[in-house]
Amino acid sequence: MSADPEFEDLVKLYYPDLYRFGLSLTGSEADACDLAQETFYIWANKGHQLRDPTKVKAWLFTTLHRQFLQARRHETRFKDEPIDETSPELPAITVDCVNRIDARGLLSFLEQLDETHRAPLVLYYLEDLSYNEIAETLAVPLGTVQSRIARAKIKLLQLLNETTPPK
Amino acid sequence: MTTSEAKQRLLLYRGPIDDADPQFQEALAYARRDAELGEWLREQTECYDSIRAKLRGIEPPIELPEKIVRNRPIPFPRDSSRILQLAAAVLISVSITALLMKWSEHRQRPVLGAQEILVTGEVLDMTCYIASNLSGPEHAKCAKVCIRNGEPAGIKTRDGKVYLLTGNPGDSINAKLADYAAQIVTIKGKQTVRDGFAQLQVEEIRKL
Repeated sequence: MSADPEFEDLVKLYYPDLYRFGLSLTGSEADACDLAQETFYIWANKGHQLRDPTKVKAWLFTTLHRQFLQARRHETRFKDEPIDETSPELPAITVDCVNRIDARGLLSFLEQLDETHRAPLVLYYLEDLSYNEIAETLAVPLGTVQSRIARAKIKLLQLLNETTPPK
Repeated sequence: MTTSEAKQRLLLYRGPIDDADPQFQEALAYARRDAELGEWLREQTECYDSIRAKLRGIEPPIELPEKIVRNRPIPFPRDSSRILQLAAAVLISVSITALLMKWSEHRQRPVLGAQEILVTGEVLDMTCYIASNLSGPEHAKCAKVCIRNGEPAGIKTRDGKVYLLTGNPGDSINAKLADYAAQIVTIKGKQTVRDGFAQLQVEEIRKL
């Protein structure tokens, strides 16, 4: 194998985030590793087509998400969903409730969310992406992304509230 | 803006990363004026930070980056030398195709009519010459034996053209040619060519 420092630097920079995103989507360490590998494999083949170097991160996350959808055979066209102004009330939850669960427990809650809501919520928590970038990454309209994040966040906090035992 | 509307909006607020996002400005200003909403927002951002920290605290397998690098495909180089290499490859491919077409065309053609010519060159043992590029005085002994024993004989001119030497149909000329193995001679004969292969039907041999 010939050395490719540029590729290796890119892997070092982004593999943890991609792995975490993959793990949050699949709930499986092996699947997360596979998704991260596939993503970089595709980058090695097609990454040179990306003209804007500032979009590398978004490109990688988009690719991983696509791979995930392909694997799940859930590649459906997304409909535009405007922000739902009548979202249910946010459950009262304190940071202590959140602090009582570990990462594994958090992942198990995320797994209970619908896939279309899980991906934007994970990006919301995990990455420093703007809402426009999240929408671009997931190839859905901005309003849809925000609506899904809001619903998913409420659902996650409800799950945390119901499941976390009191102190 | 009501408190409820501000909450709806601030539900998505993550902290400093969203400070520049205009969609939160009005709601944030409202939260600064409303102590209760401000407290709610503080609690929400703490929860956000806690969940984020837990997710970001997940450590990927140590061997993953090495595995990714090891299993990557050979990247497609983007430099101009690669483009030149590709251009050369295309050119070679086109040339080979053209040659094959010409060869194919040539195969369809009837054998050129026999033409009497004079050829001067070294008498070769074709088997050793083609297989091992053996010729010249140092190979004379071997060539003589080979030709005498019935191996095909040929003649190679100074400009590198090689003819297969034959006798009249049904008659071997090997015994005669063996005496001239590896020597320079002039042969008068009838040339025929098929598929680029030249044959000379020997009529007369002269030693130079």
